[in-house]
Amino acid sequence: MARQKEYTKDELSALTNTELREICKQRKIPGMSKKRKDIIIDAILLAQGGSPASQSTTTITKTTKDVDPNEPLTAATFTLNSILTKPNAKEGDKTTTTIRVSSGAATGEFPVTGKNVSQVKSFLKEVLNISKMASPIVNGNQVDDNYVIKEGDEVEFLKPAGQKG
Amino acid sequence: MEVKNIKIIGLGGIGSILTDKICRFMTFGKFANNDWKITLIDGDSYEQKNRERQDFLYLKNKASSKADELNDKFGENTIFHEIHEYINEDNIGRYIVDGDLVFICVDNHHSRRLISKYAEKTLDNIIIISGGNDYTDGNVQIYIRQNGKDITPSLTSYHPEIESPDDKHPDDMSCDELADSAPQLYFANLTAATIMCWVFYVIISGDFNYIAKSEIYFDIKLMSVISKLRAVY
Repeated sequence: MARQKEYTKDELSALTNTELREICKQRKIPGMSKKRKDIIIDAILLAQGGSPASQSTTTITKTTKDVDPNEPLTAATFTLNSILTKPNAKEGDKTTTTIRVSSGAATGEFPVTGKNVSQVKSFLKEVLNISKMASPIVNGNQVDDNYVIKEGDEVEFLKPAGQKG
Repeated sequence: MEVKNIKIIGLGGIGSILTDKICRFMTFGKFANNDWKITLIDGDSYEQKNRERQDFLYLKNKASSKADELNDKFGENTIFHEIHEYINEDNIGRYIVDGDLVFICVDNHHSRRLISKYAEKTLDNIIIISGGNDYTDGNVQIYIRQNGKDITPSLTSYHPEIESPDDKHPDDMSCDELADSAPQLYFANLTAATIMCWVFYVIISGDFNYIAKSEIYFDIKLMSVISKLRAVY
């Protein structure tokens, strides 16, 4: 497989927004369709492993292409599964790392973009008290266990209804 | 939305609390009028052992006890009916009819399933607000059917434990089984009843945009209440 071209900041600045967005699309950099030119350039530079034009340091990030949905979710990988979406933001805010996951009234924001729901269920079963038989729901719709979580999704593991009254 | 016939099925921990609040609101509140009636339905009798969480004045059939109490408080403006039976397959057609707003406050999934399936298969227009709790948590479900079409999912759609209940209908339970119910927390009953009041207010106010989130969970220990999106299939 051919190695992807590494652009310099000057080369990217010479391209149009449409061309920059096409590069983002090819490199699976999410969330760039409506961003300003300087933000898109930063995102491409960061995805190449370089420094953004507007920052002197970088944050460890992944793009969705780096995330294997079937890879077991461990505490170590949990913290690394961040998705670069806001490269021009201040340090620490560059990534959209969290998805709202809930079961019943237990809820939290977790960095599980790119993972499948069965992995997430297994990893969070004690944190959210998810029952073994709980079926997954994403954005109000029932999904199967192989569903891969996307940025902006809201994930729920169904808690049984209260029985007494 | 205009509500004329309210049915409250089950007058245990949730129902005995809820009834008073709904009657007060409908009798004296913003939506008060003289053109509605409320029917209280329960085959059980109030016993003193339940006094820590059930709100009754008299030791007799719960529907009768609550109707007497409500008549004293609100009887000048409101008509109360009392049914001293559990809802079952034989009588459900008499007591739940098209256009009703039904509160389900029962303590078993068997009855929830019976009422939901009956509404789904037989009625064109109905609103069901169903509450249930375990010891410190619980949920409220909203099932709305308008002109023969489900606006929100039925009670069984997302809940296999209601679709295939492992409990019994109260008519099929022995006296020992009826007496030997799991312990409940008054505040869990109270929370379920309160959320059912919220839902009732949203519905009669006509704020149907919020109803897409047709299930609400609460957990007292987590101090959390969350409403959930539910798609209709």
